Amino acid sequence: MLEIHDLRVAYGNKNILNGIDLSIRQGETLAVIGESGVGKTTLGLCIAGLVQGKVSGQVLFQGMDLLKLSEQDLNKMRWNRFSLVLQNVENVLNPVMTIIKQVTEPIVEHGIRKKKYAVEKAVEVLSRAGVPSSRYEAYPHQLSGGERQRAMIAMALANDPEFIILDEPTASLDTLTRLEILKLLREVGRDRALLVITHDISAAAKLGDNIAVLYGGKLLEKGPAKEILTAPCHPYTRGLLRSYPNMTTVKDLQGIKGRLEIPQKGCCFYPRCTQAVDICREEHPPIARKGECYLACHRGGIVPLLQLKDINVNYGPVAAVKGANIKVYEGETMAMVGESGSGKSSLAYSIMGITKSFSGSIYLDGSKVKKRSKEFFRRVQMVFQNPAESISHRHNVLQAVREPLDIQNLGCDGERKEKVRRALDEVQLSSDDEFLSQYPYHLSGGEVQRVAVARALILKPAVIVADEPTSALDASVQAKVLKLLMELQQNRGLGILFITHDIALARKISDRITVMQAGEIVEEGPAERLITRPGHSYTRALLEAAPDMDFIEQEQNGVDLRESSLSSCSFLAKN
Amino acid sequence: MKRHAVAVSNYITAFIIIISLNFLLPRLMPGNPLQAIYGEEALIAMTPELKAELISRFGLDKSLCEQFFNYLMNLCQGDLGYSYYYNAPVFEVILGALPWTILLVGAALVLSTTLGAVLGVEAGWRRGRAGDKVLLAGLMVLNGFPDFFIGMLLLLIFGVMLNILPLSGAVSPYANLTGVALLWDIFKHLLLPLSALTLAGITGSFLLTRNTMIGVLRSPFVLTARAKGLSPAAIRYRHAGRNSLLPVVTRAGVMAGRMATGVLFVEMVFSYPGLGHLVNTALTARDYPVLQGVFLVITVSVLTINLFTDILYTRLDPRVSYAY
Repeated sequence: MLEIHDLRVAYGNKNILNGIDLSIRQGETLAVIGESGVGKTTLGLCIAGLVQGKVSGQVLFQGMDLLKLSEQDLNKMRWNRFSLVLQNVENVLNPVMTIIKQVTEPIVEHGIRKKKYAVEKAVEVLSRAGVPSSRYEAYPHQLSGGERQRAMIAMALANDPEFIILDEPTASLDTLTRLEILKLLREVGRDRALLVITHDISAAAKLGDNIAVLYGGKLLEKGPAKEILTAPCHPYTRGLLRSYPNMTTVKDLQGIKGRLEIPQKGCCFYPRCTQAVDICREEHPPIARKGECYLACHRGGIVPLLQLKDINVNYGPVAAVKGANIKVYEGETMAMVGESGSGKSSLAYSIMGITKSFSGSIYLDGSKVKKRSKEFFRRVQMVFQNPAESISHRHNVLQAVREPLDIQNLGCDGERKEKVRRALDEVQLSSDDEFLSQYPYHLSGGEVQRVAVARALILKPAVIVADEPTSALDASVQAKVLKLLMELQQNRGLGILFITHDIALARKISDRITVMQAGEIVEEGPAERLITRPGHSYTRALLEAAPDMDFIEQEQNGVDLRESSLSSCSFLAKN
Repeated sequence: MKRHAVAVSNYITAFIIIISLNFLLPRLMPGNPLQAIYGEEALIAMTPELKAELISRFGLDKSLCEQFFNYLMNLCQGDLGYSYYYNAPVFEVILGALPWTILLVGAALVLSTTLGAVLGVEAGWRRGRAGDKVLLAGLMVLNGFPDFFIGMLLLLIFGVMLNILPLSGAVSPYANLTGVALLWDIFKHLLLPLSALTLAGITGSFLLTRNTMIGVLRSPFVLTARAKGLSPAAIRYRHAGRNSLLPVVTRAGVMAGRMATGVLFVEMVFSYPGLGHLVNTALTARDYPVLQGVFLVITVSVLTINLFTDILYTRLDPRVSYAY
């Protein structure tokens, strides 16, 4: 129905769209998502021939190139073949014309019906869109935001177009109105093609058959909505999903580092990408097929940093870990949950080479790890459970944090000290000389653990294996340390293998969770799925045992209803 | 309804203040009120009997309150005083001049506003292109000429050189024309002063419309209108134009009051017997009662016109209905 090839739009020297390829089939809905300012609105307007800038490429609408049409021919197509629902801002409707007049106008102007019959049609579409009949004769300023959105959808339906472009149809609506509008749009989209431009990812999920992710005037990823939303390949898509508050995902909100700034050359996303390599700075990657999706990324999407294949750990006759397979992706937290003695720590030790009695292979950055060289430890660092024990009491803070640099023999003395200061700043510890000369036993538990984290971070590793790093800390200090790790993940793309027995904690910080029981991985999956729909009985048991803040009285089948707030309910009083 | 009541009461308040000022001013001036009203010369020429009669007529021997009451009663009866220069009641004198001014100023206002608005809409639509530049430059040059100068030019060209239009007056004297012939005669006399006033007033409304139009064209609803595939004329007038009208209407309301007296020069040039002409004669003859009467008539008409503008607003823009 609609095919866009290499669409480019520029205002003066400013390129807004840089080569967009898209297609929408009959009756299909495509959602275009992205932050404000990435060119979403321009894309919609450009299809309708409404941008002033320089446009090149092809917009084929049923085989006809809309960009080549004259203004008069385009005017005949507008509203008859395709219509627009522009962003619902103040004054998007003419403030001095009644709603019904504005809906009737295109029917009459295009000579489809005489005025009298056009009004009938207008009433029909307005009622279909759910505009209350008392509002037909109202002026736009007398309508609520939701009513105005409905009126605009009704107006777009007036001439029965085959294709509708909707720009942010759910923005600035309250959640209930938003849901109704989404319902209406789903119904509208049943027999016509829709292009929904939105930053509302939930709306994209509910409406879109396909989703395209736009950034810097280029498509970074496109594919079936389910694929894109459940397993995003591009770091940008992942960032968008992570920063979108919703009732499905469970991890704490994380943003995307940096701000919207499009570089002159290279991948448009590289300044904000945490896994950018040299080539990303040089040229923009072409969009290529990856599974069911199309992806534009030199790295082939989010890369796996650490992969464990068939790891077995045996202590004599005791099998501590049996055939574990785990992947830690760039910028992601993999939580490994299980009770004590389930083999979590053994697995961590096997990664770090602390225990030798294991079999199986470990891959770092895609290549097999043969021996734990200095290189390996520059990429993978570990934070241990008990900070007081993991830092030698003979070392002061400076020596403890500096040690990895000494081992790797990086930089001169001054540089190392400077790096130590920066690492301590990063974990929000004091970096003055007095603090540097403190010994672990001078510090509180939280401080020592942060020193340990600083020590693990000083080499700027790609992966951190954290074995119960916060279990010795009280909750407020734990929250601080975790926030810190999440922030490093957002800004640096740190991959974290987070070992914990606390599934409530895992829920807040992890993208995926692995559940381990008696040395075996019993379940693995996205955190939100595992929390809401656990597959294994052991996972369910862990979830049930997880701490919550419900009151005991209510849990006991609500016997004490009289004491609860429900006692004022008239329904209960009667019974 | 309550809003309307507020609006009307505002106008009534303004009217009462104006009437009081008109009543008080001559009485607050130093010296004798009669002197202030009629001037020193008239007072000297007056016989004591006439003076006494005037004093009792104006109630100058009574208290200020009673005087004000009398003044109001006289006003209600249309008594604005007596003009010695014309030797006729002021009311009649003004009534003789008022229709001509209403005709001239009214027509000029409507024409210059409409033409200016239409040209402004077209120029705003074509902003930066040749048509816009020519219009802008031409009208700016025109704006440099005062109305009486344009009047003199027109008089020279059409009245003297081409000799196709009458030189002065509002009707041909002693012609005893009736019906269509009379209307045609009035029209011929009106044409030149009307053109002068229209041309002089066109630039203001042109510039205002053009500037508003340029702003309005950036509004989202204009994009909506374009997306609907409407004809350029429909976008220009139904959507953008109508939304650009409000400031132009405001200006027209303000200009109405100004032009009632500002028409003086043009009326002088064409010896057109309107209010401006009357004011000029009254000024030179120090005919204070006439001046005071004209002042009252003009203020009242400005108030009326403002009221009409307010009502027109609500018709033009539904959002204004709560803006009193």
